Amino acid sequence: MKWLARHVDLEGITPEDLAREITLRTAEVEGLERFAAHLDDVVVGHVQSREQHPDADKLSVCTVDVGGEEPLQIVCGAPNVDAGQNVAVAQVGTRLPGDFKIKKAKIRGVESRGMICSVRELELGEDHDGIWVLPEDLQRGASVSEAMDLVDWVIEIDNKSLTHRPDLWGHRGIAAEVAAIFGRELRELDTSLPETGEEPGLPVEISDLACGRYLALAIDDVRVEPSPEWLQRLLLAVGQRPLDLLVDISNFVMLDLGQPNHLFDRAQVSAGIKVRMGADGETITTLDEEERKVGIEDLLICSGDTPVALAGVMGGEGSKVAPETTSLLLEVASFDATTVRRTASRVGLRTDSSARFEKSLDPCMVPDAAAHLVRTLQSIQPDLKLPSAPVDVGAWEDPSKLVSLEGEFARSLLGVELSDEEMAESLRSLRFGVELDGGVLRVSVPSYRATKDVGEPVDLVEEIGRMHGYFQIPGKRLIAEVSPPARDPRQVLTARIQDRLSGGARFSEALCYSFQSDELLERLGIADEPRVRVVNPVAEGEASVRRSVVPSLLGRVEINRRNRDEVRLFEVGKGYLPELTDERGQPGEIHEAGLVLASPRSKDAAFNASARARLQGVIEDLLRSLGVSIEAGLRWRALGGEDLVPGWANPGRAQVLEVSVDDECVALCLLAELDPGCARSLGLVDELASDVAAAGLSLDALLSMPKAPASYRPLPKFPGAKVDVALSLPVEVACADAELELERSGKGLVASMELFDVYEGPNLPEGQRSLAWHLVLEAKDRTLDEGDLKKFLGRVERAAERLGGALRRESTVG
Amino acid sequence: MLERLESLRQDALARVAEATDAEALRVLEKELLGKEGVISEILAAIPTLPQEERRDTGRGANALKGELLEAIGSKRALLDEALVEALRDGGGFDPTLPPATPARGGLHPITQVRREVEAIFTSMGYEVLDGPEVELDYYNFQALNVPVDHPSRELQDTFYCDDSHTVVMRTQTSPVQIRAMERLKPPFRVIAPGRVFRNEEQDATHEHTFHQVEGLVVGEDIQVGHLTWTLRRLLNELFERELEVRLRPGYFPFVEPGFEFDVRCPFCEDGCRVCSQTTWIEFCGCGMVQPCVLEAGFSGREDVDVSKLTGFAFGFGLDRLVMMRFGIDDIRNLMGGDLRFLEQFPC
Ligand SMILES: [Zn+2]
Repeated sequence: MKWLARHVDLEGITPEDLAREITLRTAEVEGLERFAAHLDDVVVGHVQSREQHPDADKLSVCTVDVGGEEPLQIVCGAPNVDAGQNVAVAQVGTRLPGDFKIKKAKIRGVESRGMICSVRELELGEDHDGIWVLPEDLQRGASVSEAMDLVDWVIEIDNKSLTHRPDLWGHRGIAAEVAAIFGRELRELDTSLPETGEEPGLPVEISDLACGRYLALAIDDVRVEPSPEWLQRLLLAVGQRPLDLLVDISNFVMLDLGQPNHLFDRAQVSAGIKVRMGADGETITTLDEEERKVGIEDLLICSGDTPVALAGVMGGEGSKVAPETTSLLLEVASFDATTVRRTASRVGLRTDSSARFEKSLDPCMVPDAAAHLVRTLQSIQPDLKLPSAPVDVGAWEDPSKLVSLEGEFARSLLGVELSDEEMAESLRSLRFGVELDGGVLRVSVPSYRATKDVGEPVDLVEEIGRMHGYFQIPGKRLIAEVSPPARDPRQVLTARIQDRLSGGARFSEALCYSFQSDELLERLGIADEPRVRVVNPVAEGEASVRRSVVPSLLGRVEINRRNRDEVRLFEVGKGYLPELTDERGQPGEIHEAGLVLASPRSKDAAFNASARARLQGVIEDLLRSLGVSIEAGLRWRALGGEDLVPGWANPGRAQVLEVSVDDECVALCLLAELDPGCARSLGLVDELASDVAAAGLSLDALLSMPKAPASYRPLPKFPGAKVDVALSLPVEVACADAELELERSGKGLVASMELFDVYEGPNLPEGQRSLAWHLVLEAKDRTLDEGDLKKFLGRVERAAERLGGALRRESTVG
Repeated sequence: MLERLESLRQDALARVAEATDAEALRVLEKELLGKEGVISEILAAIPTLPQEERRDTGRGANALKGELLEAIGSKRALLDEALVEALRDGGGFDPTLPPATPARGGLHPITQVRREVEAIFTSMGYEVLDGPEVELDYYNFQALNVPVDHPSRELQDTFYCDDSHTVVMRTQTSPVQIRAMERLKPPFRVIAPGRVFRNEEQDATHEHTFHQVEGLVVGEDIQVGHLTWTLRRLLNELFERELEVRLRPGYFPFVEPGFEFDVRCPFCEDGCRVCSQTTWIEFCGCGMVQPCVLEAGFSGREDVDVSKLTGFAFGFGLDRLVMMRFGIDDIRNLMGGDLRFLEQFPC
């Protein structure tokens, strides 16, 4: 805030008010913190006496009056401590930066009750000379922050929220906003150069448009020395470490006006400045002592032909200001935003300077910044000289422009009643020039707002709106014609699947990452399938974008089996197929419900007790609820032979439901037991050994199928006859085929059929198994009698024989 | 004989009275009144009696039969009553013994809250749209006023799917705005929930994969006030009460003016973990659609006069809403697929 106050009067504005108003009208203030708040507990002490420590040459024993009843005895190691000084004292109990708590101590046998602090210990600067000697005439016991006028507040604003406002990357820009918000004047800045000498300036030659403007100014008779306290404090308050005056002043001007600049040791750039693109294979050693490769897209500042700086990013090591330097060349320039951004990201060097250039800085600011730097330096080193006039070259153009805004457009977009004059006033407060012309505001946009941000009428509406206060805009009911919104069939289907699986089948919905790790894909034996891959994955081996959700779910089985006997998971998600990439580059997108069922290996030998059979039941129930009936020409087929079986599926226990879409046979659902090899590599062994089945159900196929809504059948008027039938059949005969035969044998009388036993073993002919059903026969017009049943069983017996088997057993029930 | 009847009567009534359960009573009834029971025996013996005794004995036996029938009947009723009463005995009843329950299963909490949001918006006439997760740079950035070298790209930590950067994992649901403009005829109102990706280091509050809900309204004379009104409606429904809100400047390249929409923390009076001690929660980024975005989205549409159109757009995160709703402290749980987490939200 002290920095801002250099540009605008903040009298009567509390830090909280300031932070809130900036948040509400300019950009979010993320933090408001006291600068060096620990100084509140450090007090002014007066050294009454200083004596040599009896047992240590370098230690002094001081008596210090801190305004209390008794003076404190403090042992101090600094050479510059002396009686009569005012010093900063951290008393017993005070905490200093670094969570360092002062305790009562005995130092070489002498009691010490506190610490006399150095500037450095208080994080106020880099002074190494010893303790901080305060001015006379301070009240003893007063807090150092009050006594030394160090109460300052740091207002923190995230860079991200200023991306579009290059003018706010310096304190003066923020101060201008504050001035507009609080209706105060922005203080004048002295942007005049002191008198310059008659010597010819160093020649500057620009050979690429990426440098729009280059100002070079020679400065003589400067000294490298520590910065004055006020400058150190300002820099410290914004988290910059003070180094020496020349570095600090360069930073100060950048942070003050937002304009980066660079100081060269003039002796190192005496060959004249050339601004040019780099050449292949060229290198430059930057200030951080790294040698960096540059290329034909990187802009270089050269002395003669030797690179001395990476334009807008960082200066070169060779031309940097040395402790003995007395003559400088100041560079203030305007570089192309994109060029700087690309170079900075290519060499991996994002600096305060590059961050500013890439926002598109105002070229008009160049001479002002140069003058500001010289004037500020001059206030500290009044003897400096400017031997020659600045050399200011480049094909830059003043970006300021005229934009016309219809007052009515602004009013209707914002929905607030502001007169043209009121809107003009609020734009003027932001230093726009405005003339009213009928209902139109003719606005001249100053150069520092015109580089990127303000160019269209709607941009001016934003300025008017935020100054008015968006929070004051009243809500307005949105009135529109009422009609039911269109519904996306896929979303409707997704919701039905989610509901049935979660509520009916009692599966838990998981959401898994769209990325699948190489490790998982390896384990499931599907690593070599084509996949979309990101070039910058979050971690090594996490680049693959999934083409199916099933592997993601299989990847969750092990962790869940550690905590649960049974694992039932599903997810409805998308998969991406690079082999189906369209002409614009977008990979094919599929929509799939993945299901996984895992449980401990069952001792139940029943034919339908396996995870695979249970999952099949879940899927058939789901399909039935979606109007897809398994009986209606749709039939599971075991995969084998020519079929492509996914790596995770046990090839001997995989099955598919196929439908015809646009005359093409597509898989509606693939269901399989987890391959035993995969199960092992997933860690499903020993106590985690599991019976696992997984399935993928295609939403795309489902959506393309005809809908079969549930249809009503009248309830039977005559009681049905129940009969159990067991057939011994060759194992090659599919159950569904046998059921088809039973159906036919019933000649329309079979009302329901339920397989209840599958038996393989002794008492059966070689290569046969026994299938047993509960059947219900019904007729619409009569009660069935013994004769009907006999005829039916006769037909069943002949059918069984046709299939190569026999009717084993039958019994009428009830 | 009459004396015998009398003693039989007293004995039988006493035994009926003493019977302790239905089975004993049934045995007794058979013994007394059955086909081969005592009464039948007496009645059968009547013809062997002297003439003068026959009538009285017959009457007496029949009367006794009637009397016993009644006694047994009422005794049976009594026993039945006692049996029913015994079933009502609450002794040893413990309703806290675990019941047999259906297995667990449920919808992911993201799905639950997402459905709530969708229901609120569809009730206001919004169409719910979906869009690709692997998206063209054109939709994710360029058409949204983020040209190739725009500095805001670096803020988004984009996953690129190819070296030429034409395909990205979408960093926001905003590309659906452009897809909506390409397909729909204004005026329209849409939302687009879905997953988005940012290349971020994961921790308790950061995920590289998360969920957003995009909103877009395009029509004539759409104003800032419409936007705030709409978002207020949403919040009132979601939190089931009126919450203080505020609109302040925010920067998003595809809106102008752009806003941040804050809501007063519903969980505290003066700062808590959820609001990072600020009492405000940044609920959503929003703004009036940039004219150049409308131009891009409706380019080539002869049936649409872009110069007449304005619109608003908003986007908010579902994950944080879910975390707030259920008090979830680690965002990584959402995508972790762990049943110990998923089963906590039965629905
Ligand atoms: Zn809170």
